[in-house]
Amino acid sequence: MADTHPISWITVIWSMVASACLTLAGVYFIIGLKQKGRPASLLFSLLALTMAAFAGFEYAMMRADSAREFGELQYWIHIPVFTGTLAVIGFTQAHFGTGRVWLAYAACGLRGLADALNFLSSPNLNYAEITALRHIPLPGGETIAAAEGVRGPWAAIDDWALLLTVAYLADAVVSLWRRGGRDNRRRAALVGSGILCFILIAAGSAILIHAGILHMPYLISLPFLLVLLVMSYELSSDVLQAARLARQLEISEAELRESQERMRLAAGAAELSLWLWDIVKDEIWTMEQGRALYGISKDERIDFARFMETLHMEDREAVRESVVQALQGGGDYEGEYRVCLPGVRTRWLAARGRIEFDGSGEPLRMRGVSIDITRRKLAEREVQKQRHELAHLSRVTLLGELSGSLAHELNQPLTSILANAQAAQRFLDREPVDIGEVREILGDIVEEDKRAGEVIRRLSLLFRKGELQHGAIDVNMLVEDVLKLVRSDLVNQGVGVVTTLSPALPMVSGDRVQLQQVLLNLVVNACDAMAGMDRTEREIRIETGTAAANGIRLTVADGGRGIPAEDLERVFEPFVTTKSQGLGLGLSVCRTIVSAHGGTIRAANNPERGACFSLILPTLPERADVRA
Amino acid sequence: MCGPEDTVFLVDDDPAVLKALERLLRSAGLHAMAFGSAQEFLERHDPEAPGCVVLDLSMPELNGLDLQRILAEREPARPAVFLSGQGDIPASVRAMKQGAVDFLTKPVNDDDLLNAVRHALARDRATRTQDADKAEVRRRLATLTPREREVLSHVAAGRLNKQIAADLGTVEKTVKVHRARIMRKLQVRSLAELIRLADRAGLSAPPED
Repeated sequence: MADTHPISWITVIWSMVASACLTLAGVYFIIGLKQKGRPASLLFSLLALTMAAFAGFEYAMMRADSAREFGELQYWIHIPVFTGTLAVIGFTQAHFGTGRVWLAYAACGLRGLADALNFLSSPNLNYAEITALRHIPLPGGETIAAAEGVRGPWAAIDDWALLLTVAYLADAVVSLWRRGGRDNRRRAALVGSGILCFILIAAGSAILIHAGILHMPYLISLPFLLVLLVMSYELSSDVLQAARLARQLEISEAELRESQERMRLAAGAAELSLWLWDIVKDEIWTMEQGRALYGISKDERIDFARFMETLHMEDREAVRESVVQALQGGGDYEGEYRVCLPGVRTRWLAARGRIEFDGSGEPLRMRGVSIDITRRKLAEREVQKQRHELAHLSRVTLLGELSGSLAHELNQPLTSILANAQAAQRFLDREPVDIGEVREILGDIVEEDKRAGEVIRRLSLLFRKGELQHGAIDVNMLVEDVLKLVRSDLVNQGVGVVTTLSPALPMVSGDRVQLQQVLLNLVVNACDAMAGMDRTEREIRIETGTAAANGIRLTVADGGRGIPAEDLERVFEPFVTTKSQGLGLGLSVCRTIVSAHGGTIRAANNPERGACFSLILPTLPERADVRA
Repeated sequence: MCGPEDTVFLVDDDPAVLKALERLLRSAGLHAMAFGSAQEFLERHDPEAPGCVVLDLSMPELNGLDLQRILAEREPARPAVFLSGQGDIPASVRAMKQGAVDFLTKPVNDDDLLNAVRHALARDRATRTQDADKAEVRRRLATLTPREREVLSHVAAGRLNKQIAADLGTVEKTVKVHRARIMRKLQVRSLAELIRLADRAGLSAPPED
């Protein structure tokens, strides 16, 4: 040993190799600990550790002073040889998985045998006797020791074990390459060839040294540097890859959280819930909120039938039909229905869904959303009720304007009843009593009473605020009824009425009271429009007839001053009136009523003079020739 | 006092009311004629027939008030009783101002109607009698000669025979003869009667000289 040189380069190199091996062994050990069930990293760690040991043994052997020391070192080196072989084969099998298992066992078995035999030999497996230590000079003034001697009896087994190991590894790497695939080939190229090179050099040189052809120290840890390099490269790519994946994962998780938050917010704010119906399996998934909306308990399995059960009885048929329609090709589903929850008032829900079809047009699943619209429905009901009240109020006000006329209508029959009765009383006082006359009188009284009853009945219908009653209405009869009501007023104001009623008109579906209200309003307005005109020019023309596309037309025309062109639409707005004492609600209520009946009302001016209001109402869809 | 030939004319556009009122009047011993409209009444009734008219206020075409106005323009003006189903105060005031006998509201009580009708008939009768009287007086006056008419106006002024003779440039005897003839022609028996008759005929006094 040269003490005079500052530090031997052999020391430096072998130390570096050893520390590199230890470092990587440590790193892969830590990695391996975390990868339960994947022993590759642990095995590599063991291999690297073994190589560090090898480095130590090699250095010691190179610096061996005596043959005996060399022999002893070579004796003990079989331990790392054994662990190293097992580690490299194990790692290759775990990492690649492509080697022939029997070959692996064979190599390990032979190795084990060889190393076992080693411990029975002296000085070691490879040499029966070491005769001399040759000192080989190296650049830089270094010398290293190599043995010379008689080969051991079982030394060949050592070599066979080495060969089997090489065979196994070569086969594993080639199989991996053969397997194909970019990843596999890359691994085969990199790691595989690294290991192969290492083992070829290590085993190859060992065999040659044992055969006495080469006189040099073992070259095992140095070629392992190749493997270290390759594995470090792999490790760094893995680390980089892991970092990138981690970053991506973080981003994805953040996005997912964001999206979930948004969904929860939307769902919470609008009281809605998402659902998904797997049509093939007939299973419905919905958010927790959805279960609450439909009153289904947390763990209950929901299928279509169960969903149907949650619905109000009257709504089931309609929903079933819409779903069937969507399934048969519509694709989109829309519905509004009630759900009945025990102990809770009826809840209105609106649902919308879309169906996903597979390649052959069969429905796969339906995705949708359900929203609680109870508040909206209640508000709609409220509005409806208020409209109803307003119509009633308007009607009563209108009738109030006719009060003189109405009193007159009742007074007429009352007058004749009273006069008849008092006449009868006088006739009965005469001698002889003319029974025939009295009987006639009584007959007339009865008739007049009925007539009064009719008037009252007609009026009370108009005054009441009952529910809308839809029926088939004959428009001509409507005109006649209304004219009867206003007859006295028309007479008082000296207004004449000319009616042109088409015979046999189809019926209209609607509420009689409300339609009477509309016509009454128009007639009263017409009268008012002509209030300032000369008596001879006060005429109202009422016409009925058919309108295009299943409609009935009813027009009320007057001979007044007409309506200014820019006001033809405005007159239907609320609080628009030309009367000094009017609320101006009449026509706006009329429009509301007509719209609710599916019709239209319009104002226009007559060519000669005055205004004309046209009402168009849809006819009854079924048999229009049958009277109610 | 109602004579048997007095007719109550009923005008109303409601046939049931017409029938009932006609019956009521008949049961009270009155003779009634019914018309369904003012137009019909004007065309078909006999203006000379004594009687009154009972009319409804509001009728199409020609209403009660218009009819009343038309009737008021005629001689003799026929008294009217109004019936109305509506308590229209302005209309009722107009009717009364235009000379209606009464304004009743429907349904009308029999006593109220019959009283009003009887008043109307009485008024009609009184008017007719007055008119008849007036006509008679005028007829009698027409039988006087111009001279006799002159003398009459002086006598009606209360002048003495002597004064009249002096005024007319004739003698008292002649005046006395005229006077006797006048009184015979006019069928009066005293001066007072003569003067009353002259008043009724509307003869004015001659101008004071």
